[in-house]
Amino acid sequence: MGYFSWFFGLMGKRKTKVNILIVGLDNSGKTSIIERMKLQSGKVPKGGMPQEVTPTVGFSVDEFSKGSLSFTVFDMSGAGRYRNLWERHFREAAAVVFVVDSADKLRLCVAKDELDAMLESSELLGKPFLVFANKMDLPTALSPVDVAQGLSLDEIEAHPWQIVPSNALDGSGLQEGLDWLANFLNK
Amino acid sequence: MADGHAESSKKRDEESEEGLDFSPFWGIEKGAVLQEARCFNESQLDARRCQQVITKLLYLSNQGDSFTKVEATEVFFSVTKLFQSSDSNLRRMVYLIIKEICPSADEVIIVTSSLMKDMNSKIDLYRSNAIRVLCNITDAGLLGQIERYLKQAVVDKNATVSSAALVSGHHLLQVNSEIVKRWSSEVQEALSSKNPLVQYHALGLLHRIKQNDRLAVSKLVTQLSRSPLRSSLAQCLVIRYVAQVIKDTKVDEVTGERPFFDFLESCLRHKSETVIFEAARVIIELNEVTTRELQPAVTVLQLFLSSSKPILRFAAIRALNKVAMNNPSSMTNCNIDMESMISDQNRSIATLAITTLLKTGKESSIDRLMKQISTFMTDIQDEFKVVVVEAIQELCLKFPHKHRILMNFLSNVLREEGGFEYKKTIVDCILCLVKSIPDATEAGLTHLSEFIEDCEFTYLSSQVLHLLGELGPSTADPGKYIRYIYNRVILENATIRASAVCALANFGSCSVALRARVLTLLQRCLYDNDDEVRDRAAFFLSVLRTIPETDSECVEDPLIYPLAPLEASLRQYLENTGDSAFDLAVINQIHNNIASHPDMHASAFDCSSMNISSTKNDLRESENIITSRGEFMSYGPIFKVSSYSSSVVNSCHAVDLTEAETEYKVTCTKHIFKEHIVFHFMCSNTIEDQILENVSVVTDPIEGIEVFAKVSTIPLGTMPLGQFGSTFVSYKRAQGLHPVAKMACTLKFTSKEIDPSSGEPESEGYEDEYTLEDIDVTVTDFLTGNPLSAFRKVWDTLPIENEKVGDYSLGTRDSLGEALEAVVGILGMAACEGSEVIAPHARSHTTLLSGFFVGGHSVLVQLNLGMGPSNSVAMKLIVRAEKPYIADMIHTLVSEA
Ligand SMILES: Nc1nc2c(ncn2[C@@H]2O[C@H](COP(=O)(O)OP(=O)(O)OP(=O)(O)O)[C@@H](O)[C@H]2O)c(=O)[nH]1
Ligand SMILES: [Mg+2]
Repeated sequence: MGYFSWFFGLMGKRKTKVNILIVGLDNSGKTSIIERMKLQSGKVPKGGMPQEVTPTVGFSVDEFSKGSLSFTVFDMSGAGRYRNLWERHFREAAAVVFVVDSADKLRLCVAKDELDAMLESSELLGKPFLVFANKMDLPTALSPVDVAQGLSLDEIEAHPWQIVPSNALDGSGLQEGLDWLANFLNK
Repeated sequence: MADGHAESSKKRDEESEEGLDFSPFWGIEKGAVLQEARCFNESQLDARRCQQVITKLLYLSNQGDSFTKVEATEVFFSVTKLFQSSDSNLRRMVYLIIKEICPSADEVIIVTSSLMKDMNSKIDLYRSNAIRVLCNITDAGLLGQIERYLKQAVVDKNATVSSAALVSGHHLLQVNSEIVKRWSSEVQEALSSKNPLVQYHALGLLHRIKQNDRLAVSKLVTQLSRSPLRSSLAQCLVIRYVAQVIKDTKVDEVTGERPFFDFLESCLRHKSETVIFEAARVIIELNEVTTRELQPAVTVLQLFLSSSKPILRFAAIRALNKVAMNNPSSMTNCNIDMESMISDQNRSIATLAITTLLKTGKESSIDRLMKQISTFMTDIQDEFKVVVVEAIQELCLKFPHKHRILMNFLSNVLREEGGFEYKKTIVDCILCLVKSIPDATEAGLTHLSEFIEDCEFTYLSSQVLHLLGELGPSTADPGKYIRYIYNRVILENATIRASAVCALANFGSCSVALRARVLTLLQRCLYDNDDEVRDRAAFFLSVLRTIPETDSECVEDPLIYPLAPLEASLRQYLENTGDSAFDLAVINQIHNNIASHPDMHASAFDCSSMNISSTKNDLRESENIITSRGEFMSYGPIFKVSSYSSSVVNSCHAVDLTEAETEYKVTCTKHIFKEHIVFHFMCSNTIEDQILENVSVVTDPIEGIEVFAKVSTIPLGTMPLGQFGSTFVSYKRAQGLHPVAKMACTLKFTSKEIDPSSGEPESEGYEDEYTLEDIDVTVTDFLTGNPLSAFRKVWDTLPIENEKVGDYSLGTRDSLGEALEAVVGILGMAACEGSEVIAPHARSHTTLLSGFFVGGHSVLVQLNLGMGPSNSVAMKLIVRAEKPYIADMIHTLVSEA
């Protein structure tokens, strides 16, 4: 450990920077989750959730910190035409957050295909996958167990993974998921 | 002072040279830089390094290196990852490279969300740049999403943000003008910004938003002319807009005052030189500017002539040069200042000074001026010399008495070193003077003869030789040119030798005294080793020998035969492979016929214009057939050829009168003669087992029976299979009547079946007929274009009693240009003096049209177009013609169209 990092460590300022990829089908709630996380980490001062969220075009980069970790999140668009953009970011990503709209039963299989493709990528080998079964608040939402089953999560062997039910509107579940990730990345 | 300048600029040169050596980017290679660009993908970014790599990429692209699609895409995607860095310098480079490398619309769009985030960032630098990039790459769909932010940004308190939004507004006007127009109150607010740049951008945008609304522009300009703007660039814009408004409004009839002139004059006293120049320039370019109006501008410019800054001197002299073109007398006071500028360090300034002086100079000062110029010429470059020579040509035409000294000057510079363009300009100039100043002919020819003794440009030598052949024989001592010309035969390349032979022959034929000597010289040329030279020599020898000894006549240029008929008859001759020699007389006859006729020019013009526009030479072919037939010889030359329907004027396809896929194919072409019209039907049989004989087309006037009287019908023996045969119908036209007609046409023929067993046709056929489509004859058929360079002159020669004026409404049109095109299309006349070009956004325009009505009658038209509110176009048509009925005809043609 160099002199400078020791110094910063002492001051409590130095944070470990980790790149995280947040993916999932369009409208699953990725951008909403990030906005909420930023809010919770105190990055957005006050005024609550910023206006309405619009569909992401391409991608956008955000930052927030959690404990000693500084997260740089690549919020990828889930729209079909941009999905092949995801893989360009695999290499630098330390972890993947996969967001599923639990109420979108129809497209659960599409989500599964996308997830499977990622799991197979050599560039993501061994990296942790956090799945948010989002929009839990909706009455038509599937249970996390059903979502896990629909995605065949239990067949995953080469990656540490976790599924967490979430609600981006009130933030429930996000903390839990993030804790799991942080725990993993701090190791 | 001047020395000081030279020194400092020299120093700067050295510096920049050294700078080149030390440029960190000198000699970098694309491949290596692309390798380096991989650092964009690292998860721990080195912001400084990334910046440098982007700079290198930008440098390469500015140096003209281009990236392949794959390379660009790769760079672009890795650059997008740099959005994770919050280093603001790096971010700025990211914006730049995205704009520069923009791989494809599809891919570039993926940075939209990132940019939208930056657009709402708290950092001004991010906001302004994101706005610029976003507007650059956005499409109509996204524009709606970001519009709200842009509108806000226009009135942002940060100047760079506000400017960025305004400039983006300029770009977006092209994409979606409606959205930008909704910003007008914000833009108006930005106009009163304290920041000069914002003001400038706001004014530009505001004007563009309003530019189609004349009243609004005029209001804006009036308001702005009362209170000067902080930004001098914006003030310049105001001056330009004022100029436009002045152009569109009329001078006050009573006072003769021009609106806004006081404002322009006050701008001449502005503290910024840019504004002063702008105002001076606008005053100089005012329509029909008076000497009194010019005076204040000229005075200010004169002061700048002695400025210590070269840029001011240049701008001033350039503006004065414009004044000199139209109002040389209003700037006599400047002559002394300008004369001292001939020795200006800056050659551009010196050249402008000289050419200006050449325009303002009086006859008495020419000698002194020429002396100064001679020393100056040696140390300027060719492109400047060209300008000077052109100015001298003008001067010489203005003061023909001075031709001697000017011609001497030209001959001197002709002898000096110089490139082709320069030499060509000098030769052209001498040619022009020789032709327009009779006294200068001999001197000019002598100079040119000497020039070709040592001329390295084949083109120029040939041109001069041709001129010598043309003009030399009629000079006082033609003999002296022979030596120069024959020298060329001995010394030069084949092209020049051939030209020299022609020139010699001309001397031989025009001058009885020289003929014998020329014959001897031509005789020698028979041994030339070039075919063309020998052929020409042999040809001219035999021609010269046929001229009676005492006669002098110029050798006929073989090219004065009309080329098309010549080619057609030659082709026919070759096909027939007859034993008799080719008889040039056939063409000669036609040719003479044309030459003896006053309509020749109109006809010749028409042919050439057709030739240009025709892709398929249907009409041309038809014309050749007509001219090679004896029957129509007595009608004179063809005035115009057109296909049958007026709606396809200028189309050079003959028009099909039969539907495709019938048993026979018939097309029709109209030939207009002075008093006659000939319909030429080209018929073709498409069925193998029938023979069609005694073919003719019967035409019946449905309309126009009183104008056209049938003269003859020439039938076709048999309609050939798969090829065209011709049958004709000719009419005589009653003079002075409106030449409009509609003809019903019937194809008549005798049909004989071929007996399949013997292959012989039946002896008895049966008569049959077939109805063809009607033929229209319209006034347009009798009109051809005749472009004039001096419209006004001809206009004034036509009797004013024959002038007919009419107003028309052309309905709503997209633009004046479209309306004009429609009218010109109907009339088929030629626009003169470039008046067919309409200024963009013009609301009114005048076009001058000229043409011939059959019989060689000039018709001129002044066509005023005006666009009213809601784009309705009104037209005033003023027609003058030699005969009143022709003027009437034009009006009928327009009103019935
Ligand atoms: N009821 C409910 N709605 C949610 C939740 N999370 C997100 N939404 C809504 O779902 C919609 C889509 O959310 P986004 O965050 O834009 O989804 P996204 O995944 O970023 O979509 P793309 O950017 O197009 O890929 C928005 O209208 C959100 O308000 C949630 O937990 N519960
Ligand atoms: Mg999103």
